[in-house]
Amino acid sequence: MEQRTSSPYPRIDRLVMAIVGVVLVLGTVLFMWSDRAHDWRYYQMEFRQMVAGQFGEDKAAILPSGVQQIWVAELSRADRCVTCHQAVSYPGFESAEQPYRTHPKLPLQQHPVEDYGCTSCHGGQGWAIDTAAAHGEVAHWEEPLLSRSLGESYTLAGNKNALMQMNCNTCHRYDRQTPGATAINLAKSLVNEKGCRACHVINGFGGTIGPDLTDVGEKPPEQYEFGRLSGQRTAFAWHVAHFKDPRALSEGTVMPNFNFSTEQAQSLAMLMLSWRRADVPARYVSGTPRVDPRSAEELAAEAALKTGPGGWFVQTGCFVCHSISALGVKSPAQIGPDLSNAVEDVQSRFGVTIDAFLANPTGTMSVVLSRQIILTPEQKQEAVAKLREAFAEYQRQRAAPATGK
Amino acid sequence: MRWPSLNRTKPEAPGVHAEPFWSFRPQSDREAGDAVVSNFMLHWFPAKISKASMAWNYSFWLGTISGALFFLTILSGLPLLFLYVPSVERAYQSVKDIEYVITFGSWIRAVHRISAHLMVIVVSLHLVRVFLTGAYKNGIGRGQQREVNWLIGVVMFLVTLFLSFTGYLLPWDQLAFWAVTVGTNIASSIPAVGPAVRELMIGGRNIDQATLIRFYVLHVVFLPGLLGVLFAYHMWRVRKDGGLARADAESALETPQATKPVKSKTYTLLGVARGTAPTVTARSIEAQGATVNAVPDLVRRAAIATLGTIAVVSIMSVFIASPLEEPANALITPNPAKAPWYFLWLQEIVTDTTIRIGSFTLNGAFIGGVILPGILVGVLMFWPWLDKSSHLAAGAWMPRERRTQNITFLVIILFVLALTFVGMALRGPYWNFYWPWEAWPAIPGRI
Repeated sequence: MEQRTSSPYPRIDRLVMAIVGVVLVLGTVLFMWSDRAHDWRYYQMEFRQMVAGQFGEDKAAILPSGVQQIWVAELSRADRCVTCHQAVSYPGFESAEQPYRTHPKLPLQQHPVEDYGCTSCHGGQGWAIDTAAAHGEVAHWEEPLLSRSLGESYTLAGNKNALMQMNCNTCHRYDRQTPGATAINLAKSLVNEKGCRACHVINGFGGTIGPDLTDVGEKPPEQYEFGRLSGQRTAFAWHVAHFKDPRALSEGTVMPNFNFSTEQAQSLAMLMLSWRRADVPARYVSGTPRVDPRSAEELAAEAALKTGPGGWFVQTGCFVCHSISALGVKSPAQIGPDLSNAVEDVQSRFGVTIDAFLANPTGTMSVVLSRQIILTPEQKQEAVAKLREAFAEYQRQRAAPATGK
Repeated sequence: MRWPSLNRTKPEAPGVHAEPFWSFRPQSDREAGDAVVSNFMLHWFPAKISKASMAWNYSFWLGTISGALFFLTILSGLPLLFLYVPSVERAYQSVKDIEYVITFGSWIRAVHRISAHLMVIVVSLHLVRVFLTGAYKNGIGRGQQREVNWLIGVVMFLVTLFLSFTGYLLPWDQLAFWAVTVGTNIASSIPAVGPAVRELMIGGRNIDQATLIRFYVLHVVFLPGLLGVLFAYHMWRVRKDGGLARADAESALETPQATKPVKSKTYTLLGVARGTAPTVTARSIEAQGATVNAVPDLVRRAAIATLGTIAVVSIMSVFIASPLEEPANALITPNPAKAPWYFLWLQEIVTDTTIRIGSFTLNGAFIGGVILPGILVGVLMFWPWLDKSSHLAAGAWMPRERRTQNITFLVIILFVLALTFVGMALRGPYWNFYWPWEAWPAIPGRI
C-alpha cells in the first residue's frame, strides 16, 4: 500500500479550520440571540410584575406569554399589538403608562376587538412585533399609528388625538354625524355648508368643475405637486395648506379661498384622506341596509298576520313551519302539517291527545320545543286552547259548504 | 487518539489505521479502494491532488464557495417553502409573518437572500477567474474537453441570474413587482416576437397571479433542478479533464535535468525504453512531493471554504435586514423603478442608447437589453473555440500570450461594473443623474 505523502498543509489548515469552527459557533449564538432579543419580552415581564403587585401572583401566573395576536379573518388583519399592550382588555390599569394602559371601555363595546382588531382604528402595522415597525414609523409603511404624538407633530388645533377619526370614517363615511368624531363631523358640516358639491363629485353626485373627491384619499403621495409646499411633504400637509390657500399650492386653480381656520382646514384634510375605497365587508359599513327590502303589500300582509285571528301562532313562531289555514295563517316554509286539525291529527299520528303530546313531545317537535320554542306549562295550556279554537273553526268551515248546498 | 479495537478478527491492511469512530474497517487495499469508490465525497475527489491546484491564490476556491452558497440557498429555501404562500393575496402577508413571528424567520430569509446575492457575485468572479487564467483551455491530457465545461459554466451563470430574478418577484412587494416589470419590459423590446416572449414569461399581459405561480415554480423546482444537474456534470467534467488547468500547466513546465551519460551505442527507441539512451526527467504530476493526498488535505480545504462561507453568511444575515417594501401595486410606480442590481448595467445601457430627436424616440431597449447582452453572452460561450493561444497559456494568471484578450475582457468587466455602479448609486427619481453628494428629493408620505 502506498504511504501517505508528506503534506505541508495540516499545520496551518487545522488552525484555520479551528478558527472557522469558532466563528460558526459564535455566528450561531449570535443569530439565536438576535431572534430572542425583542422588547416585547421585557414588556410582558414588566406587566406580569404589575399584575402581581396589584392583583396577586396567581393572577399574574395565568397571563398569556409569547407573541399574541387578534386575528380578524373578515378584515384579514392579524394585529399583534396585544403582545406588548397586554392591558388592553385588563381592567385596573386605566391610568398606567403605555403600553400597560387599559383601553377605554366605551369604544370597545360598540367595536368589539375580536371584530375590528386594533389597526383598523388606530393605524400602524399589526404584523410587526417591534415598537418602531408596529407603530409604522419605518420606511415602506404608509399607515402610521394615528397617535397623539403624530397629531402634535402637525400641531392639530383642538383634540390632538383627532387623526384617528380618519379611520372611523372608513366605515362611517355615509353618516351625517358620527358620535365622538368631532373633527370629521365639523368637516362634513362644512362640506354641506360651503357647497363643495357645486364643483366636486362626492359619492356619485356633484359638479364636474373640480376633481371627483369620492376616493381622493387613495391618491398616492407621489402624485401630489409638492413644489410650492414648505415643511412636511405629506398628502395631509398638502391638503391642510391647500384648504387654507388653494391658489398658493396649485397655480391657476378656480377653487375659492374660504378663509378656513386652522382647525377647519385640518378637519377637512382628515376628511379628504378618509375618503378611500374601503376594503371592508358591507356589514361593517354604517348605514348599509341589512334586511331584504319589502314592498308595502308584504309589510301590510305581515302586520295582518300578526294581528289576525291566528296572531298567537305567528308571534310564538309556530307559523315558520306550520300553516293554520282555518285561521288564515300561511307558513312561508310549510315544512310541518297544517295545524287547523291538529286536535284530531295528533291523535291519529301519535296516538295521544294534544295535551299529552305538547307536554311530552316526540320526534322533530321534541327538538323544536326543547331548543327553539320553549313554552312554559301555562303557555302550553294556551297553545292547546288556541289549537282547539282553530279546530272548531276548521270544523265550522268544513260544515259550512255542506250546509250551503 | 487511537483506541485498540477489541474484536478484530482479521489483521488490518497495512497503512490503514484503526480510528475509534470508524464504522467500516477495510481489511485490504481492495476493500479500501472499493470504499473510496462507493463514498460520494471520496469518489468526487481524486486520490491525489497537485499542490499547485491547492494554492489559495490560484483559484481562490471560488467554485467551492459558489457550490457552498448554492447549498445554503437550498437549505434555507426548504423552511421558506413551508411558510411562503404563492398567491397574490397572501404572498406579502406570509413574508411579513416570516419576517416578524416565525422563529428565526427573518434570519432564514436573510440567509436565503444574502447567499443568493453572494452567489451571483461569486459565480461571476469564478467566471472571471477561469477566463483570466485561461482555464477553459485543454492541456496535455487526452480526451480533455474543458471548452465544453466552460460552456456549461456560462449556462450555469445564466441559470444563477435567472434563479435570483425569479426569486425577486416572490415577496410581492413594490420592489419585486417593479423590478420584474422593468426586467420583462426589456424582453418585450425584441422586434416581432417581443410581446409574445413577455406574455410567455409572465403568463398574460399583466404581472399577476399567473406570473407569480410561474416564477414560483421556476424558482423552487425547475431552475434549482436544472442547476443541480448542470452542477453535477460540471464537477464530473472537472475530474474527466484532469482537475484544474493549473495541474496541466504544472506538468507541462518541464524542468530539464541532465542525467548521467550512459554507455550506449544505440540511439534507437529501444534504447530510450531500456534507459540506456540520454533522457530527461520531468517534474510531472506523478512525481513525489508534487502532490498531496486528497484525504485529508483537499477535504479539509473544501470544508474550510464551505464552513467559512456558512459562517460569513450566517453573521451577515444577523446584521443585514432583507427589504420588504409596500405591497405590490400596479397603479403606483416607485420612482425610480430599478431592475435587480445585476441587471442595472443593462437598464443603464437602455437609458443611454435611447435617443430622442425632437418628438422622435428611438427606444434603446432592443439594443441595450437584447442585442448587446446577446452578443456578449454569445461570444463568451464560444470564446474557447475562438481563443487560438497555445496550451501553455492554460492554467496561469495573465500569461503573456493571452494578454490582449485578458485586457479586453477586463475592460468590458470594468465597463459593466461602472454602469452597474451608476445604475445603483447615481440614478435617482425619473432616472435622473445624481452625484453621491447630491440629495435626492424626499419621498413624500401619506401622513
